[in-house]
Amino acid sequence: MWTPLAVAVVALSLVLAGWAAWRTLRDQPVVLRQLLLGAAVEAVLLAQVVVAVVRSAGGDGPADALTFWGYLVTTLAVLPVAAAWAFAERTRWSSVVLLVAALTVGFLQYRVLQVWVGA
Amino acid sequence: MSAPASTGTGAGRVVVAVYAVLATAATFRSVVQIARDLDEAPLAYLLSAFAAVVYVVATVALARGGPTARRVARVAIVTELAGVLVVGALSIARPELFPDATVWSGFGQGYGYVPLVLPLVGLWWLRRTRTARPDVDPGR
Repeated sequence: MWTPLAVAVVALSLVLAGWAAWRTLRDQPVVLRQLLLGAAVEAVLLAQVVVAVVRSAGGDGPADALTFWGYLVTTLAVLPVAAAWAFAERTRWSSVVLLVAALTVGFLQYRVLQVWVGA
Repeated sequence: MSAPASTGTGAGRVVVAVYAVLATAATFRSVVQIARDLDEAPLAYLLSAFAAVVYVVATVALARGGPTARRVARVAIVTELAGVLVVGALSIARPELFPDATVWSGFGQGYGYVPLVLPLVGLWWLRRTRTARPDVDPGR
């Protein structure tokens, strides 16, 4: 992993969570532009996966590989699944679903960084 | 008597989403624990696996809705509530039984007490959606 990428994932997730919270308060559903931000989070996550694969292949991988890869692959799935689940709902509750998902991704990225450094 | 409302729409989407996160976390944890060192803490690890199954069942049942799924969801959620209360209490009173943590240890402490709060929310939501007409107060 590369820490700046993890910071970017957490920061973007928090922005997405804040945006979703704002729309929840205003009684508005998820909009397409939020999904674009979600896609940006996914892009950074994918870059993180590539970095992790390359560094692991070079012998510089995490101590606990099973936990690490489990977390990282799960993180990738969260936003797409949540987006599909949320977008079918055209009420403010879709924004709450996105909020939960974005916070989950941010938290998972933080955990996965801990596992990478062996904390 | 009207058919029950859907449990997987409106606020129910959030309930299902949180259940899905917990189900994933519990499943993942138990798979790692069992794959790695079942011998170390068999009771804790098998409980983790059982909890994971209960959460997955609750998630799917709540997402599907319908009379049968509601019954399944209720049983799963009551099991969860019993699990978190019993294991939570035991993990504090008899910690030697649980050398490693489960989702339910310390009343779900490791998961921000979500395992303790979520079954209450789930039961409330099942009650709330008993009738299809949201204008009728189901509590009356």
